[in-house]
Amino acid sequence: MKNRILIVDDSFYMRTMLKNMLTDAGYEVVGEAANGQQALEMAASAKPDLITLDVILPDNTGLDVLKGIRQNDPEVKVVMCSAVGQEVIVNEALESGASAYIVKPFSEEKVLEIVSSALQTAE
Amino acid sequence: MKSREQEYREIYMAEALEAYDAMSRHISELERNPQDQDALNELFRLMHNLKSNSRAMGFNSIGEVAHHMETIFGLIRSKEKEFSGSLATVLFTGVDTIGAMIRAVGDDQDLPESTALLDNLDRLVRGEEPVLDGETADEDANRKLELSDLVYIQIKKLDHLLNLVGELIIDRDRILTLSQEIGNSALQSAAAHLFRITDELQYSVMDARLVNVGTLLNKFPRVVRDVASAEQKQVELTLSGQDIQIDRNILQIITDALLHLVRNAVSHGFETPAEREKAGKPVQGQLVLSAQTERDDVLIQVTDDGRGIDVESVRRKAVERGLVSKEAARLLDDSAVRAFLFEPGFSMAKEVTEISGRGVGLDVVKLAIDSLGGQLRVESVLGEGTTFTLVLPTSIAVKGALLFELDERSYAIPLMHTDSVVSLWPDDLHVVGGLLMAEVQGENVPVVSLRRLLHNGDGPLPPATRAEVVGRQDIIIVNYNNRKLGLIVDRFLRQQNIVIKPMSKPLDIIELFGGVTLLGSGQVCLVLDVPALTRLFLARRL
Repeated sequence: MKNRILIVDDSFYMRTMLKNMLTDAGYEVVGEAANGQQALEMAASAKPDLITLDVILPDNTGLDVLKGIRQNDPEVKVVMCSAVGQEVIVNEALESGASAYIVKPFSEEKVLEIVSSALQTAE
Repeated sequence: MKSREQEYREIYMAEALEAYDAMSRHISELERNPQDQDALNELFRLMHNLKSNSRAMGFNSIGEVAHHMETIFGLIRSKEKEFSGSLATVLFTGVDTIGAMIRAVGDDQDLPESTALLDNLDRLVRGEEPVLDGETADEDANRKLELSDLVYIQIKKLDHLLNLVGELIIDRDRILTLSQEIGNSALQSAAAHLFRITDELQYSVMDARLVNVGTLLNKFPRVVRDVASAEQKQVELTLSGQDIQIDRNILQIITDALLHLVRNAVSHGFETPAEREKAGKPVQGQLVLSAQTERDDVLIQVTDDGRGIDVESVRRKAVERGLVSKEAARLLDDSAVRAFLFEPGFSMAKEVTEISGRGVGLDVVKLAIDSLGGQLRVESVLGEGTTFTLVLPTSIAVKGALLFELDERSYAIPLMHTDSVVSLWPDDLHVVGGLLMAEVQGENVPVVSLRRLLHNGDGPLPPATRAEVVGRQDIIIVNYNNRKLGLIVDRFLRQQNIVIKPMSKPLDIIELFGGVTLLGSGQVCLVLDVPALTRLFLARRL
């Protein structure tokens, strides 16, 4: 069974890169959300195994979205995506239940390594 | 072939330009109201995305500026700084610099220097006063007086201009003819000058309407991704020829047709990943969307490596639908059979959709292309894939046409639908099943007297005989939807660029004519509509 992943990022460019990386590695990308509202809806309907979540989103901050997602589904793994400069948010996210974080700009190897190890802790 | 790198670059550019526009807007809002939290949040978010994306693309200097800008907007958000005075000036400069950098990336040029800006941004973070040298201020002041080299214009205004040019050309041709009739040399030389000027004017106006095909093609990565994900297909899209230029209205008219072809290809053209694997194909399907120029035409092609069209099932269906007799269907070559896919209503055939994965609404695509005087072709190999080709004129205003005479009247036929012109003797023509046939370039083409086709009511054409053909015949071979037809006319006149005007009521109900044009002689000339003429022939033949 392929692991199912939801991508949350407000940049189409970022989503495209992440989606290509993950799809090439054999994951199934079940959806792409561009804002917090979409992310919460898609997380509830698509039931992904893992969510990559940008820390800065247009409507909610990534942190609020993280809390909402974890509340609805405590099982889902969340990997935060952030750029340098958001260490404070990242720390708070890890305390709020995020499994790991990826710092942009990221390499393909790094993304796959973090995603795969986050998924392994699920079992 | 376009690589993923190129695709990323295009998406990056599109998003970056959009972000720059939004930044310019939001920073002006912030200037009007420094308490505007929404504008501030958006600026922060846009800088953040631009930073991440630029670094991922390797444009580190843009990333660096965006990072510094993000930091300051973060400080304003947390009330540690205030958007005013020299800080605001530096931030405005920052947004301008970002715009210049993005444009430089788009133009493949070296990125502008940003050290002074970065130093100032650093000073602001440290709470120091930025160094605004007088020169920069002067430059700023001067720059604000500069107007952009680009003018945005409503397409409606260009349409009007083009119509006027059309009218002008008709009058010009009239004057040219008159001046020759009158024979005054001063008038003739003025008319010749007028001819050259209007020619140039026409091409300038046509040129002003040209846009890159890429403005449409670049929307397709998103479409393909969405449809493929909904259909659970794996499709890689390759774009090429984005810089080919075409009239903006033509691009507008084919938008839906192209969308339809691409969606159709992804939903029906490609097999499921499992089917592809079983057929020994790569699981990921390849879809190519390309544009190229061929003589005066623009070719847009949609190519998939999917299941292809099952010609035999189309052939069966065409017979069932009464579009062709069983005997005749057997004789048709594959391309003639595939042309049935574009017949109105044919597309609804469920079996075809299921078996070949084709046909839904292709007649609608065909109509859009016909309305432009273009051609739609399809080639396919069962199991290997399908290519749809849209042959489009570069411009809608002026069309090359062949002028000929019938019963002492002039007619025009667009060159887009003209394959060749031949002069044949009665010995070159044969009667097969009540139809005259001629061998043209190794192909058997039915030939009909245009006079007979246009007159004598709607009933079946009387069986053709060799006896009716006397002497050498001027024949125009027209081509529509892969069907060739020879039209016997009285006399070829010449080839000429014409401006086609729509017919006024009540003549517009005669669909055999696509419009009228005025010749230099002042004579009204009917422009034949080849698709309608071909349909009439098919309906009236025995």
